[in-house]
Amino acid sequence: MVTIGNVDRGAVMARSEIMDRGAGDDVASRFHFTREMIEGSIYRKYEKAIRGIWNPKDLDYAQDAADWQRIDEVKQRGLLGVTVRFLAGEQAVTDELVPMLAAAHALRRYDWTMFLSTFLMEEAKHSEFFMLWHDRVVGVLEPDEVAAHFLVRSKTVDPTGRFEVKDVLHEALPRYGGLLMDAVAGGRQAEIEAAFVQFSAAYNGFAEGVLTMPSYEIVIDTTLMWDAFPTLREGFRRILADEGRHITFGTAATRMLIEKTPSLERLVHQVFDEYRGNLVGLVEYQKAVPGLDLQKYQTMKVRHYRNRCREMGITPDQTLIEQILDPDIDFVVGVEAG
Amino acid sequence: MARAWRCLEAGCEALITAPDDEQLVAAVNRHVGEVHQSFELEEVILDAAEDAAEA
Repeated sequence: MVTIGNVDRGAVMARSEIMDRGAGDDVASRFHFTREMIEGSIYRKYEKAIRGIWNPKDLDYAQDAADWQRIDEVKQRGLLGVTVRFLAGEQAVTDELVPMLAAAHALRRYDWTMFLSTFLMEEAKHSEFFMLWHDRVVGVLEPDEVAAHFLVRSKTVDPTGRFEVKDVLHEALPRYGGLLMDAVAGGRQAEIEAAFVQFSAAYNGFAEGVLTMPSYEIVIDTTLMWDAFPTLREGFRRILADEGRHITFGTAATRMLIEKTPSLERLVHQVFDEYRGNLVGLVEYQKAVPGLDLQKYQTMKVRHYRNRCREMGITPDQTLIEQILDPDIDFVVGVEAG
Repeated sequence: MARAWRCLEAGCEALITAPDDEQLVAAVNRHVGEVHQSFELEEVILDAAEDAAEA
């Protein structure tokens, strides 16, 4: 993966030849605000993020800590299977966002850069929320303590062998992020835009926008079913408000790029096709809490997928929808932790 | 101008309308909650909301 700091002189020179940022005599190019920009949808999301800033340290974790002590070990193991995934996932999406910022800079989208500054801060804050919750409620924080509760993906298999369940956050995002950084270093606008569409499809469209949405509802429904963990539920409510902006930023940016270059739509479908196995069934941590109506969480993926396609202005893959709804497609799940 | 949002839950396609964006967000979440036992994010609703002749 090419990083900003590793870009060689030749690449920088090539970039300056291809995408002249006009830092010479064109003084006006040093200013980025326009009336059109500050009236646009992305800038509105930036303003909304600034108005909605919250602090995980302002939440009171005492009731959740008391609730943790009163539920049995089966419930503890089930809930922790999901929350530990969020703890790892929020750190992954924080760590993997930089390529999008680099692309916004290269494409001279200052409104995207401004919004992404709130996006990155919010993802870091979400990881802080889960760190605090696990420390203050469960009493685990160090990597080896939380890793012991991480449900292992290799134990989730499709018995028919048709689909493979992959690790989107820790495999797809670094890989597509690396491709986007390579494109930014190359400096060719069309390649940056194509790589941005791929990365955003994986990050905002697939991971945030479809795969994770049922997991939020699983945790919220669990806290309501058990009449417990009010701060976990409140944290999820606030995180979801942030995530709504993140998802729709990515899909709106992708829509703009696809409207400019319609052939980019196929890249979105390629990403979803590559990780199809993660959507057609529920994976291990989504089945960890006993007593939930799991079919509801599988069915709702169709709404989230069709929402993302509508936002991106692309045609949904009807076969994927049919596979998501097919009751015969289900995974055998091992719930061993560690 | 009224605002409208179409529910894309599998097999639904309900069109929800309201006099403005704020009331549309509330109306959509009433629908998604009552019919699908779920919820929808405010930004998702606002991004796909369209003008409608009347609520």
